[in-house]
This record gives sequence, C-alpha cells and structure tokens, in this order.
Amino acid sequence: MHMADALVSPAVGGTLWAASCVVMAHCVRKLKATFRDELVPLMGVLGAFVFTAQMINFTIPGTGSSGHLGGGLILTVLLGPHAAFLTIASVLTVQALFFADGGLLALGCNIFNLGFYPAFIAYPFIYRVIGKGGYVSVRAWVAAVVAAVAGLQLGAFSVVLETQASGLTDLPFGTFTLLMLPIHLAIGVVEGVATAAVVAFVARARPEVMPAAPVRSGPVNARPVLVALLVAAVAVGGVASWFASSHPDGLEWAIARVTGKEEVEGGASGLSARLAALQERTAVLPDYGFKAAEGAAEESAETWPAVDTGTSVAGVAGGAMTLLVVCLIGFALKPRRQMGV
Amino acid sequence: MNPAIIEVEQLRYAYPDGTDALRGLSFRIAPGESVALVGANGAGKSTLLLHLSGTLTAVGGEVRIGGTAVTPATVAAARARVGVVFQDPDDQLFMPTVGEDVAFGPLNMGLPPEEVERRVAEALGRVGVAHLRGRPPYRLSAGEKRAVAIATVLAMSPEVLVMDEPSSNLDPRGRRRLIDWLRSFEHTKVIATHDLELVVEVCSRVIVLDGGRLVAEGAVDALLNDEELMVSHGLERPHILRHRHPH
Amino acid sequence: MGLDKWLEAHRMDELGRLDTPLHRIDARMKTLTALVFVVVVMSFPRGAVSALMPLFLYPLALMRLGAIPPRVLLRKMLFAAPFAVAVGLFNPVFDRQPVLVLGPVAVSGGWLSFASILIRFVLTVGAALLLVACTGMHRLCAGLERLGVPRVLVVQLLFLYRYLFLIADEGGRMLRGMELRSAGQRRLRFRVYGSLVGHLLLRSLARAERIYKAMLARGFDGEMRAMAPMRLRWADAAFAGAWVLFFVAVRNWNLAACLGRLLTKGLS
Repeated sequence: MHMADALVSPAVGGTLWAASCVVMAHCVRKLKATFRDELVPLMGVLGAFVFTAQMINFTIPGTGSSGHLGGGLILTVLLGPHAAFLTIASVLTVQALFFADGGLLALGCNIFNLGFYPAFIAYPFIYRVIGKGGYVSVRAWVAAVVAAVAGLQLGAFSVVLETQASGLTDLPFGTFTLLMLPIHLAIGVVEGVATAAVVAFVARARPEVMPAAPVRSGPVNARPVLVALLVAAVAVGGVASWFASSHPDGLEWAIARVTGKEEVEGGASGLSARLAALQERTAVLPDYGFKAAEGAAEESAETWPAVDTGTSVAGVAGGAMTLLVVCLIGFALKPRRQMGV
Repeated sequence: MNPAIIEVEQLRYAYPDGTDALRGLSFRIAPGESVALVGANGAGKSTLLLHLSGTLTAVGGEVRIGGTAVTPATVAAARARVGVVFQDPDDQLFMPTVGEDVAFGPLNMGLPPEEVERRVAEALGRVGVAHLRGRPPYRLSAGEKRAVAIATVLAMSPEVLVMDEPSSNLDPRGRRRLIDWLRSFEHTKVIATHDLELVVEVCSRVIVLDGGRLVAEGAVDALLNDEELMVSHGLERPHILRHRHPH
Repeated sequence: MGLDKWLEAHRMDELGRLDTPLHRIDARMKTLTALVFVVVVMSFPRGAVSALMPLFLYPLALMRLGAIPPRVLLRKMLFAAPFAVAVGLFNPVFDRQPVLVLGPVAVSGGWLSFASILIRFVLTVGAALLLVACTGMHRLCAGLERLGVPRVLVVQLLFLYRYLFLIADEGGRMLRGMELRSAGQRRLRFRVYGSLVGHLLLRSLARAERIYKAMLARGFDGEMRAMAPMRLRWADAAFAGAWVLFFVAVRNWNLAACLGRLLTKGLS
C-alpha cells in the first residue's frame, strides 16, 4: 500500500514530506541525546534484515495466498520508536530508489503512513499495553495482531485521504475506503501473526536479546498524541461524511461490481446512512477539511499559468508528434560508456 | 630484559549467561614476538583476543598493554596500539568503499587529511590492493576481503597485530600470500588459528588453551611436535613437522 | 524468495557504478533535477496528456547518456504498476463525460485522466530509478548529506545498503537449505516461518554486535567522519539549470499543442 507519485499532488506530497521531516528531525535529536552508538550498525543491519524478511513468503493455511512480514512493528519492538522510525524511513527510501515502490514525491507520504503509525501509535499504545512486556504468551500474539491491524488501518486510511486530497482520481472516498480497509485488515492480521511468530521464537531462543523494559529513548508523552488523534478523527469524520453523501450511488454500484457480495451491498446502504448521520452531528467541520484541500488545489492552479490540456484534435496530434520528436532526440544521444569500478 | 608489550595476569572472564570463558590466564609477550594461540573450538581463543584489544572487559585479573593496565579510562589508547583482524572480514568492512574502510581508523584517530591519505595509500600498497580502493566490500573475493581487512588495521600503525583465524576461507594462493605478509610484518603478532602449518611457518612461540585455561606454552617446534600433548587438547601434530623436507 | 528481485537489485547496483560523464555529474544536481521533475509532472492538472509528452525527453536522455538498458527500467515499472493502475482505472468508470471526439470515437474525461495517471507513473517512476542508476548509492548518499540530510540518516542508508546483499544472501541460503529438506515443497509453511526468520534475525543481531566491536576496535566514538569534500563544477550546475528551465518551459507552454496547431494548419 505504498503511495505512488502518479496519484499525489505536489501540495499533498509536500505537506506529508514536511510532516515526515519534522518527525525524522525529532528522532535524530532524540537519538543523539541518548548516545547509544551501538545503534549505528544495529539499525543498518536490522533494516537489511527487514528488507530480506519482506521477501520471504509463507503460505496462509486455508487460502491459496502467501503473506510476509512488513517489519514496522518488529523494528519498533527491537529498536524503540525513534530508531525504528528512521530505520523504516531508510528501508522505504531504498525501496523507492531501487524498486520503484512509491516515488520521490510520495516518499514523504509513505514514510509517514508506514512509519509513524506503527512506531508512535501502535507500539506504545497498543502493543505494550496489551502485551505488557511479554513476548511468548497468548497475549503477546493478540497484542501483535491488534497493533499491526491498527497501524495498517491508520496507514491505509491515510493513503485514501492523501489520494482524495490530491484530486487526481475519480474514485469516490467511500468506495476507496471500503476497498482499502478490509484488504489491509487482512494484511494487518498476517503482519501481526508473522511478527508474533518471529518475536516468540527469538524470545525463547535468546531471551536476553529482546528488550526487557520498554525501549525508550525518552518518555513518550501521551497527551499531545491523543489530542492530535482526536482532532484528526473529528476532521476525518467531517471529510468522510462529505464525500460519502455526495456519491452514494457510486459507492453501492462500485461495491456490487467489484466484490459481487450481497452482504456488502446491504452494508453499503447501511454505511451511507450511518455516514449521513455522522455528517449531521459534525456539521460544523465538513467544509473545513475540504476547503483547505480545495483552496490548496486552486492556489496551485493559480501559481502556474493556465495550461491548455490539449483536448482537441490539434492537441492530440501535437502530443503524438512531440512524443515522436522527443524519442528521436533521445535515441540520437550517443551513450558513452566506460566500465567503472 | 625486553619489557613485555603484552602482559596478562590471572585473566578471568565469564559470558553474560554465566559460563566461564577464561579461568585465570597468565602470560607475557615480548615486542616483536610472533605468538600463536591454539586450542580446540570453544577453548577461549577468540575471547582472549578480544581482551587483548580492549574490546572485552575482564571480570577478574588484568591485561597490560605496554605497561598500562587496560581500563575504561585507558581503553582508547590500548585500541590504538593493538590492531585486531577479526575472523569474518564482512564484520570489519562496513564502509561503502575499500578506501573509506581503510581511512576509518586514521580518521577516528584525529589525523589530518593528508596524513590519512598517506596511510591509506601505504596500507593498501602493503597488501597489494591499491587497485581496489573504490570498490564496495561486497564486490570483493574472500582473499581480497582478507587483504583489505588487514589494511584497515595496518593504517592505524599499531604496535601489536592480533588476528583471529586469518587463513580461513582462503584459497592456496591467498593463504601463501598471507603467510608471506605475516612473515614480513615487524609488528608483534598474536595469531589465534587452527592452521597449525601456518603456525610453524610464521610463529616462534605457541600458547595452548583448553577449557579457558592455559595448558602449555613454549617454542613452536617443541610443543607442536609433542603428539601426546596435542591430541590430549583436541589438536594434532602438524603434517609439516611429521615430514620435514628441506625447502 | 523473490530471488529475481535480488538479481535486479544487483543490476541496479552495477549500473550505479558505471563511469559515464552523466554518472560523474554532481549527485546534488541530479537529485534536485529529479525532484523538480517529479513536482512539475505532478503539478499538471488532471487529464493532461499531450502536454506531458515533451517531458519524456528527460528519462530518455538519462537512459542514453547513462547507458542504462531500458529493459531493466521497464521490468521494475511493471512490478510497481498495480496500485496506480488499479486506482486510476476507476476514473473511466466514474467520469464518463466525453471531452474529445476522434472521428467516430468519443473519449471521456475519465479515460483521459487515466491515461494521464499512467503517463505520470512512467515519468515519475523513471525519474526515481534513473536517479540511482545514473549516480550510484554511494555518490547519492554523499550528495544527500551535502544537501542537508542529517548524518545519522545518511549513515543509516549506507549501512543498510552495505549489508543488504549480505543478509539477503544469508536468507537465501537458509531458504534453500529448508527447501532441500522439504520434499519438494517450495513454499514455506507457517510453522517453519517463525524459526527460519527468527534465526535470520538472531544472526543479524549477532552480526551487528560483531560489527560494533570491529568499529570500536578502530576507534569509533559515535561520530562517522567523512573524507573527501565534493566539488561543484560549471558542468554540473549547467546540467541542472538547463533541465529545470526545460521543465518550467514545458509547464508554461503546451509545446505539443503548438506543434499540433502547426501541423493541422500546414495540412489544411
């Protein structure tokens, strides 16, 4: 569920980059303050481990498909939130540069979506709270699954919000959400189970390796995070209901077409009704969230001069011709190659 | 009498889980000596080497490098005098290129850039890998990695070279080159190894470890020829001594 | 295991270490150019198709000058395409308003914006891949640090990259070992998964500890010191400047439409 550059607008991408940079700077400061210089090789090696682990698939019994570890949660368990966030960011960067997973502009979104929620929300508020520091008991497995699911749901929902705010897709908010969240629920369960399995094995084989006390590089202050979550939830509720109420038909139609399940169709109309009810209750906010996005879109259109998008025969012919010219120029360039190191 | 450069007195060490690794070792090494540390797996060779370079802290007893006891306060100075070549070169080559790996030590010593450059060039030349300077470590063969690992240590101009299984994973030519270098280095050398043939060619003294204790020490020929002693401590008499051919 | 993916990564690494004039251009300039490119591409309004065409010159030129074989890029693009394509495909579904008539065929706005998404995908993904293929991870990280990325992060990227291949090799060997004892079953059962990946994790942790000891033995005190500074040449600045001017020009004037108008005028 990496965001792709092709779906993100410069405004949204820039905002998420700013958010990611703020968090990264905070993490860098926190790490410097704790002087744990054994983290230098450890973060690198664990990043390489996660990269490798992501490519090792296991079969999910009962289905024909396979699952694998994402790594955000297990990195946080081993390194603590601040070091883990930076490690996740480095893994995502290498993925974007080498495997085209995500992009340069969307990297900011991906670092936030896949790093912030597991490290700063799922781990401290769910994994540690449910797991209570254990790694092999049943409650450790439950903790891992719930934490992974929560982290991925938040991340998946953020992808939906970012895509909507960028405005390049016609996919209605409701449909998109209904597609992303259940899929990532399943992915979250797989992630949690995989994480718990690895953690349990290591804790049994070499218990001294697992952090005994909560790995803290500084006290995690709950208040600001909870306030931020509350604001986000309210704003999201407003935006969600705005979108859902504008496209109720599209929602049902798309769901029927895509999933073909009757129960989901029934649920869809129920969902619209519930979202409409939500809209009434949060009537103060709905335009706030969207206005900001709309305003940004208008601004970005105005800072650039208006461009003729070529919706005419001349435009299409010109487009084809240009592509041809560009290719000719491109292929005329002589590659001059010497074998390097 | 030559002052000893390495003195170990009643050294004791236990692993974090409690098992004893070293049970009261004592020996001295004079400057310029080539000493081999031999013993079966698990005898404590690698652990002892880590103490000699100040990487591990003793639980009991003392290690003195050049007369100064190795303590948390003096450990930085000790590390500058003792260069360690670890068993797995991949653990030691962690920088993006060979050149940067060799420069890592001198840069940490706070040397000016020109001096760092000079040392890097010299160390690389010493082991014949100057042409690999820009190469990343994962693109090296086992022999090349070993050579670069040695260069990273030489660049710090240590007085003592400590090596853990230097000839492992080397093909015959690589091993021969290694033996030639070791014979040409003037540093004091402490080499932990299973390669008893190498010991005969390179070292003058040997220390035998068994179960964390020093069970024998003396001249290479005398000890390694003692078949009973060798076998009783999980070793054997090296082939080169059984059939001595004039070279 | 995604063994093919690993061979790809090796290939990208090889390409990054070539020595063409393009590879020698300052990494900072190439990074900034790529970033501006991506922002410009994404700043176009929805439905922009022909206006984006001139921008193909950038990835094509880099490919030629950097001696990057197109197949490598295309394969990676195919792997990465599913999400963008899947989301983009909803556009023609929801936006059926015809905006363009080509003879007997009416093209809806939805198809146009879908095409736009695909084009943007190719352009932006191409820019990202070409950045590292024409620069190499080592030079790129040095450039990132000069651009202000904190040393902790750059060191992390370099360490990650350094041990990536090693740990992937270890993982691959463990998998093969397991496969050989699984009576032909290629896929990993969950029961075994925890211990296989757990073992890999333990080995990785042990390795990290050994590396740390090796670093300490060579005087590591928490600070990673750099050696040679990077020099900016006129050619490097000119490279970035010229491309950025080109991107801005393409953004401001629809070159394709102009060319099209010339063509249709000439034909009428």
